[in-house]
Amino acid sequence: MTVAPAKSITAELRRHFAAIADVLVPEYGRLPKASDVGVADELLDRVLAARPDLTEIFVRGLQTTLGRSGREAAEHLFKQDPEAFDAVSTAAAGGYYLDPKVRELIGYPGQESIPNETPYALPSYALDGSLQRVFDRGPIYKPTPGKAMIAHPRLIGSKA
Amino acid sequence: MTTSNAKSSDEADVLIVGAGPGGSVAAYELSRQGFSVVTLEQGFFPDRAAYPGRTPEWELLTRKTWNPNPNIRDNPQDYPVETSHSDINPLMFAGVGGSAILFNAQWTPLLPSDFRARTLDGVADDWPIDYEELLPHLEDVEQLAGISGFRGTPVHPPRRDFPTPPIEVGELGRRAIAGFDKLGWHWWPGANAIASVEHNGLKGCVRTGTCAYGCPEGAKSTTDLTLWPHSLKAGAKLVTGARVREIEVDEQGRATGAVYIDRTGRERRQRARVVILAANGVGTARLLLLSQSKRFPNGLANSSGLVGRRLMFHPYSAALGEFDEDLKSWRGPYGQIIETYQFYETDKSRGFVRGAKWGILPNGGPLGVSSIAGAKVFEDNSLDSSWGESLHRNVAARLGRCIVVSVIGEDLPYEENRVVLDEKLKDSDGIPAPKIIYKIDDNSRKLLKFHEARAVEFLEAAGAHETSIVHQMRDSGWHLLGTATMGDDPSRSVVNRWNRTHDVPNLFIVDGSVFTTSGGVNPTASIMTLSLRAARYIAEQSRNLKVA
Repeated sequence: MTVAPAKSITAELRRHFAAIADVLVPEYGRLPKASDVGVADELLDRVLAARPDLTEIFVRGLQTTLGRSGREAAEHLFKQDPEAFDAVSTAAAGGYYLDPKVRELIGYPGQESIPNETPYALPSYALDGSLQRVFDRGPIYKPTPGKAMIAHPRLIGSKA
Repeated sequence: MTTSNAKSSDEADVLIVGAGPGGSVAAYELSRQGFSVVTLEQGFFPDRAAYPGRTPEWELLTRKTWNPNPNIRDNPQDYPVETSHSDINPLMFAGVGGSAILFNAQWTPLLPSDFRARTLDGVADDWPIDYEELLPHLEDVEQLAGISGFRGTPVHPPRRDFPTPPIEVGELGRRAIAGFDKLGWHWWPGANAIASVEHNGLKGCVRTGTCAYGCPEGAKSTTDLTLWPHSLKAGAKLVTGARVREIEVDEQGRATGAVYIDRTGRERRQRARVVILAANGVGTARLLLLSQSKRFPNGLANSSGLVGRRLMFHPYSAALGEFDEDLKSWRGPYGQIIETYQFYETDKSRGFVRGAKWGILPNGGPLGVSSIAGAKVFEDNSLDSSWGESLHRNVAARLGRCIVVSVIGEDLPYEENRVVLDEKLKDSDGIPAPKIIYKIDDNSRKLLKFHEARAVEFLEAAGAHETSIVHQMRDSGWHLLGTATMGDDPSRSVVNRWNRTHDVPNLFIVDGSVFTTSGGVNPTASIMTLSLRAARYIAEQSRNLKVA
């Protein structure tokens, strides 16, 4: 997915965001830090295209902390401006986990579609006796007063 | 009565306000039986292609565009809700299919004891109807809705088999089953309003796992897919973008129709012989309170003073267990993979009455591993505990390796918990918005604490090496119940046993408002069942109803 660069995010703000993002999402083992995968570049534009409501608060958070180090800015926003911190951290993590290399490294293929080729086959719990054990313990509900408690006659797949 | 100059349309046999689960069932049944039906829906017909589940950005989109909280989503068709005096935020969606577009599709009809809380436990009130009376209508609804499940659970009397087989439980489900089996507790493959094979307009589930944000496959059972194609073919008229601001009455106190604002901003009038409200437990109460007249100065159908009162949500907690093995816990259904009623019925030795149903759920993608339904909850409050290397450690520990236990407890009805009209807040058409006044009671707190401890016990039995709890999540008001309660006594209830208002003989309510008690289960199955029964009553009694 390609989106147009967010016009309100200057190069200076992108550099500042990258510094903050690297504090929030640092290098860790085989995992790269946020700026290495471009969270301040195209990924940021994708995040803000999905969440345009964040843009104004995101820019505010960056502008009010310009001149601070990434660590100082992150700490300041976390303590003093939770709304802006939420926007900046959502952009950092949201962009980071869009990156295909990161997804591969964490073992996340995205939300999959897994059609069931045998939807009518008896599930393992019906074959291995585990569901039967629940069934055999009998009804556990309180019946309507004046009415008898009734159990299902048998369990599907049961040998009984 | 209104003095509006609204443009009027032809009189319908039946006017329905709201195209969610309740309203859609009524529209289906009455149009099928040959009545002319007009349904007014403030939202629009959903575009399945717009659902976010198959986009890489899906988790970002669920936090705003597809968030179930209307105050966060803030679409023009949503009305704002004033919640500063509520312990729980109400969640809902405006559109054809209603809030079910964003529901988890857990299919959990009320159980026999739920209708007799007063008789069995000395609390709340008995319903004027019972489980057995609803059962044939429930079985019909289940066939229409394509419910998937495994017949035979010992938590209710025998009933007809589900129309589609249970959805695959996956590694996560098998791990949960092992835990329950070890403890000897009740569990059962989850019944869901998600078809596992093609059925009545639904596709078979492919376990995408984004059920709560619109099903991109078209497997989750929502009435835009299952019922509206039939209703439209039968001649029902569906008007979307139509926000109703008043139900009108004649001098005899009978409903004559509704005044609504269309998508161009024009005020219009729809006349009808019978009016059915299905705008959810907040929206219906709001509309009744808005419909003040000389004859009904406190709002329509409100001689009891109970319209808007007895609001119930369901107290909600969640427990999360982390496991060593890869359970691929981003896979669906989401949905309940497993359900348990082990602690559903009252045991007074626990120190509270009534109980809760649990659903066993997955926990989403990398942004969602600390969240429930888009709300971050499994985090503590310091920068370094959630970010930096902790973020990587959390994702490594939780992505694909978690089981979530969702605990839905019974909420007892109190008149102090209520929906009123806010004096300042208005929707985009200038209509007063609802305000929620709601406090969680001591019974709910004790109930949740007990269930949280049992949930941890279960997770540890299943092999979790780490567990965490979120107690009483604020963004958990999925179930909007009780604000037009059902009962036999007109001084203590709003609708009678047929969902007809005591005060207005041709005005019916078919959403969660009518719940006398909440039960400890997700209510959509019972809402649809009650609506089908009410629609059949209206059809049978059409010649005898006192209409305008």
